Amino acid sequence: MAKKWGEQMRSWLTKSLNLPEDVMMDLPRITMIGQLHIYIENHRGLLAFSDKEVRLMLTKGQLLIKGQSFTIKTILPEEILIEGKIEKFVYLDG
Amino acid sequence: MNNQWLAFFQGIIFVKVQGQGAERLINRLLRSGIPIWNVSKQGEQAILFSCSLQHIHKVRRAARTFEGDLHFYRGEGFPFLLKRLWRSSGFLVGAAAFLVVVLLLSNIVWRIDIGGASPKMEHQIRKELAGMGIEKGKFIFSADDPETVQHKLLNRIEGLTWVGVEVRGSTFHFRVVEKTAPKEKKVKGPRHLVAAKEAVIAKLFVKKGQAAVKRDQFVHKGQLLVSGFIGTEDRLKEVAADGEVWAETWYKAKVEMPVSTEFQVLTGRQVKKHRLEAGSFKLPVWGFKNHSFADYKKDEQLHSISFLGMKLPVSYAETTYYESKQTSRSYTEKEAELRALDIARGDLEAKLPEKAEIRGEKILQRQFTNGKVKLSIHFQVLENIAVEKPITQGDKKNARRKKHNEYPARKSE
Repeated sequence: MAKKWGEQMRSWLTKSLNLPEDVMMDLPRITMIGQLHIYIENHRGLLAFSDKEVRLMLTKGQLLIKGQSFTIKTILPEEILIEGKIEKFVYLDG
Repeated sequence: MNNQWLAFFQGIIFVKVQGQGAERLINRLLRSGIPIWNVSKQGEQAILFSCSLQHIHKVRRAARTFEGDLHFYRGEGFPFLLKRLWRSSGFLVGAAAFLVVVLLLSNIVWRIDIGGASPKMEHQIRKELAGMGIEKGKFIFSADDPETVQHKLLNRIEGLTWVGVEVRGSTFHFRVVEKTAPKEKKVKGPRHLVAAKEAVIAKLFVKKGQAAVKRDQFVHKGQLLVSGFIGTEDRLKEVAADGEVWAETWYKAKVEMPVSTEFQVLTGRQVKKHRLEAGSFKLPVWGFKNHSFADYKKDEQLHSISFLGMKLPVSYAETTYYESKQTSRSYTEKEAELRALDIARGDLEAKLPEKAEIRGEKILQRQFTNGKVKLSIHFQVLENIAVEKPITQGDKKNARRKKHNEYPARKSE
């Protein structure tokens, strides 16, 4: 109950004060440059990695990226930059 | 990524991870704060990634619980370059040593060519050169420059008219012209001896011929002293008159001597500096101490460095600073007069032939003006005044008519 109320509060604050949601609500920020790069901030770890598929842990759920010839250009505790040919990405609810 | 250059300097290692749960290992690395990049999958099980060399121990520690295989397969960046350089340093040292050796050998005197000299002269020149430090196997820049060498050779070796000095690469070339003294003419034609200048005869020494003057006689310039005709008037014979006629002659000299003079003398203290020069760039090599001389004289010698016969734009300069001191000298009037006299005497002696002798001197006039002593001096000199004069046909006719000692003085000679 308390958690839900806090979340609602945060959501309302974000909307009314016009703050970026990713900062306030711990959501991933995903930047894509065409099909070439995908840059994900605020992830929670690498779950699976192959040249066709990358699975990332998020605060809530997972992110599945599919494509071809993936390489991780940089990986930091909360950021990841993937290069390759990105075909699709899907949110999986955890 | 943003610090790719920094990473290059710190060194980059390429890691290969094989086995189950490679992703977990990567997560663990991330959590312990090790940045990694260029992660890619190779085949089914193997993951390749790179990370900084400074984190290699952390990577090892994180991989301890990992059951797969961890392998550092390649290194890149500055520390690895250094390592490779160190491994191949022998080559570098060799190359540098080679250059140094060639440089040294290019600046060594390999040959001394002496052309145009007799063997005796050549030997003498070589000996003199060795004394100057120009010898086979010595450094060229320890030698003087060609002009100085030329000067010294001309000064030190007698019988040398001219010597051309040229340094071509590592060879000294000398072109020598020797003095060839003309042979004295053995055959002397009939001649008289006549007076070279006005004088009073002091001593007659006749080897051949007939004396035409007496002691203490005043003679004019050109007057007959020793006649080349001997024998009686009807049986005249012509000979080459020979002998010495010593007579007293006069010279007048004027000298000026300042009472006090100021001049620079060297104290003997000196500071040497060595440096390399390339264009306007100067690199001191030795002698960093600055001189503290108030007055000094500077002597600079430039030696160019050559490489395989080519002149490098680099030269080696040796500068010497000699301390000098201003000294003043002052004479009393009496002393100044004596000095002036000495100088006048020295000047005259330099002009006179070797055997001549100054008999006496007399100061005709002395003046002290503007701190100067002005003297005019009269010198009496004893010298040989005899000069040769060949006998011509006309003389003979005259001689038949007149007596020898009435030979007319010739003004126009």
